[in-house]
Amino acid sequence: MSMSQEEIEALMNGLDAEEPATEPDVQEEPIAEEPAIEETSDSEEMSEDDIENLIAQTQMSQDNVSDDNEEVLEESNEQEAQDDNIDDLLAGIDGVVDDEPKINDEPAEENLDRESIAKDWTDKKIDEGVLPLPVEQNTKVVEQLSAVANDSEEKITKIFDVLSYIIDENVIVQKNAKELEDFVQKQTVLLETLTQKFPNIELFKDNLELAKSLDGKGKEISAKVDLENTELFSAMELMQFNDINRQKIERVMSVIRKLANYLNGIFEDDGSHEEVAVAKHIHGDDNNALVGDEDMDALIAEFGN
Amino acid sequence: MKILIVDDSSTMRRIIGNVVQQLGHSKEDFDEAEDGVKAWKLLGETKYDIVLTDWNMPNMNGLELVKKIRAGGPHQKTPIIMITTEGGKGEVITALKAGVNNYIVKPFSAEVLKEKLDGVLK
Repeated sequence: MSMSQEEIEALMNGLDAEEPATEPDVQEEPIAEEPAIEETSDSEEMSEDDIENLIAQTQMSQDNVSDDNEEVLEESNEQEAQDDNIDDLLAGIDGVVDDEPKINDEPAEENLDRESIAKDWTDKKIDEGVLPLPVEQNTKVVEQLSAVANDSEEKITKIFDVLSYIIDENVIVQKNAKELEDFVQKQTVLLETLTQKFPNIELFKDNLELAKSLDGKGKEISAKVDLENTELFSAMELMQFNDINRQKIERVMSVIRKLANYLNGIFEDDGSHEEVAVAKHIHGDDNNALVGDEDMDALIAEFGN
Repeated sequence: MKILIVDDSSTMRRIIGNVVQQLGHSKEDFDEAEDGVKAWKLLGETKYDIVLTDWNMPNMNGLELVKKIRAGGPHQKTPIIMITTEGGKGEVITALKAGVNNYIVKPFSAEVLKEKLDGVLK
């Protein structure tokens, strides 16, 4: 429950009378500010030359991959020839038939592509928003929030510098306006004297009228600058939002940190348990690869073991 | 008159400093500290007439600073105004019990700070 200034005043006037029976807990220690997150360094950014070099290297590696693929294909053909020989041999053995199920030996090139397929799939899912972004420095939630808070503070300081500069300059403007005002007043007095002594000289009369028209302009400028300063001070006051928002962000960061520790505590493993192989297909799975009873019997019969 | 402004936000220190200047004080009249530890160090070096402190700060928070000031020393009776985002009744009572003379919830206007400053300095 947030209190207004009036409520605080009222509370201060009657603290003892309205004091609650139990004192609320003292606010927990604030979290120390996170160190500023370093932005991506320039060295990580790539120039056009770097990109071209990379493209050239990629083409070279593709050529190598093509060569490798040709070698793999040759090896595969040799393997097929050997397999044919084995088939011939097996054909001569009783109980072994030609249409027996072949063990699925993946071609070598498929194994090579498996990683790239997985990467493409992962990238696609990330683009679709199904999977979150990979855990990196610039995707960690707390790191990013901290970076936002620090960046905001930095930018606000710069804005404050600009406003302060304008206010300082306005002081000079007001000082100059005051000097001009004093000068115009002195000129008016002088020209009035000259006009009285030399009423036939039009120049004195014209300049007197001009000086009188300028009288008060300096004060007007100063008054306008005062109004501008008031607006600038109001803008500075509004910048308190940054401190308030920063504290809100820090509160969120605190919750996330506690939640992360809590979840780590729940899921953590002391490492003493040996990793066991997990079943790929379990009864009840919605999977076409699951073998039914009939298929099982057929397979067993087929092997005749 | 010497004023000590304690806040971990440089923006807030400048805002408070501006208001203090609007009241007719010069920049030389106030010092700034970004946490309770630095404020406590300054309090040991200079005699201040008033302390304006935030609550939530790293290292040593405002409440701890107030308690430390009130525990003894040359600033035991120095007026303290807490300027903070903590707007709960419980927090206000806690701060007042710790020894603050007045309490301002952020965001505040220059007028409010002026009134409170006048109030504690009378």
